[in-house]
Amino acid sequence: MIPNDTLQAMIRAYDGFALTEAEMALVRPELETYCAELEKLRELDLSDILSSRLLRVQEGGQS
Amino acid sequence: MADATLVTMTIAELAPRIKARDISPVELTEAALAQAERLQPRLNTFITFLPEQARVQAKEQEAALMRGDYRGPLHGIPIGIKDNIATAGIRSTVGSKVLADHVPTEDAHVVSLCKAAGAIMLGKENLEEFAAGSTSNNLHYGAVHNPWNLDHIPGGSSGGGGANVAACVTFASIGTDLGGSVRGPANFCGVVGMKQTFGRVSQRGLMVTSFNGDHIAPMTRSVRDSALMLQAIAGYDPLDPSTVPVPVPDFTALLGQDLRGLKMGIPRDYYFDIIDPEVNAAVRQAIAALQALGVEAREVALPSMQYVGAIRMAAMADSIVTHEPYLRTHRDDYGPTVLYRTLAGQFVLGRDYSKAMKVQRFIKEEYARVLQGVDFLVTPSSPVAAWRIDADTITLEGKTYPVRGPGSGVTARCTSPSNATGLPAMSIPCGFTTGGLPIGLQLIGRPFDEARLFQVAHGYEAVSPSRGRRPAIVGAA
Repeated sequence: MIPNDTLQAMIRAYDGFALTEAEMALVRPELETYCAELEKLRELDLSDILSSRLLRVQEGGQS
Repeated sequence: MADATLVTMTIAELAPRIKARDISPVELTEAALAQAERLQPRLNTFITFLPEQARVQAKEQEAALMRGDYRGPLHGIPIGIKDNIATAGIRSTVGSKVLADHVPTEDAHVVSLCKAAGAIMLGKENLEEFAAGSTSNNLHYGAVHNPWNLDHIPGGSSGGGGANVAACVTFASIGTDLGGSVRGPANFCGVVGMKQTFGRVSQRGLMVTSFNGDHIAPMTRSVRDSALMLQAIAGYDPLDPSTVPVPVPDFTALLGQDLRGLKMGIPRDYYFDIIDPEVNAAVRQAIAALQALGVEAREVALPSMQYVGAIRMAAMADSIVTHEPYLRTHRDDYGPTVLYRTLAGQFVLGRDYSKAMKVQRFIKEEYARVLQGVDFLVTPSSPVAAWRIDADTITLEGKTYPVRGPGSGVTARCTSPSNATGLPAMSIPCGFTTGGLPIGLQLIGRPFDEARLFQVAHGYEAVSPSRGRRPAIVGAA
């Protein structure tokens, strides 16, 4: 879980939209969903996506 | 002909009679306006109702007809436009208080095309605030009600359009679909909703809340009408770089052709994992009906769908960028659900956005491979039928899900993947719950192969248990 202090620091550093502590609690559920989706990707190897794939004979039909 | 009979006709039934001057655009518009005036207090489908403008347009279309200037199947047909689509000189609120007084100076490209085709605009239709949700329970303009049961939602975000089409107020409505906002209301209201291939229809004039997967698309009462509507709005728009310069085929060309020999894919992953038993039964019956029509069924694997939620990360970031100027000046005018979901987007890292784009590509490639082996996919349109307007949650297979805000994505879980892939997908009615609420079947096709989807949907429509059924409110005195 990202601490509120970190989020508040991001807002200050990046000229974001200020959030009170109470508002932070209202934003957090969406943020938790974001973090949960990221966690699902941890083991997913995406290195083969859009990475020289079109050079393969069997995919394009030409070398 | 009595007005009540006129409003229940389809565009395909009306068009030849309008062309033959057997039915006049003025008479038809008056019938639709009467239906709208009768039902608006109960359905709340319009944010801005435009009876006087509609009457002027109807007279113009009638005059055009009389001088032999017939403009095609939409000539003299009353339609609705979702209120997040720009209309020149008419306020376009996007369902928000923030833009309550926003009056565009130009029509969206699709609105121009509909006008050129002779369609008559009855009004701007109600929707979820900023089109961000699936209930159409709008904090600022009131809840839209489902014509099949007024206590239930019509789906969203194009709920006003879905309800109007089902209630025989409009003959077609133009909605928008970023995660299922056309197919959802079509599903919940028992009408046809087509989200065509991304790039087939111009987005110019739509307030796009995500740069990735928003579509302007039609809702109608029949598959043939859906094809006619898409015919009118499809095509390359040189001023919208998201459109693709591909030829626009005759979308009605395959209607009525035999379905034998076609192959449908039934996903074993994701789409049937969370589903209400009544919806599951209706969709399985529809699949059996397609098999009876000669379609070969194959189970297909889509394991990448376990990662589809990652695309939401990109939508979060897109949303904060879209709303940034309004948040700086009108933050207090937002409803809390939209406000705090949007503000969460300011914390999405660029690295994660890029990763979401890679996941999207990963999923698109998987669909592309699967659609080499089958002509189309069959899924539920929604895991559940329309829930009550006052419900905060729904329960599926013993688990509770919110219907608004974070975690509510379950309600659009069957439709949103096709926004990520850009593939054409449509919802067609396939039965009812025991409580009398519509259930929808979703067909997903190959890129730019909408004509095939129309062929299949039209074939199924003839045997669907929904065929010929209308909400009681349509004919109520």
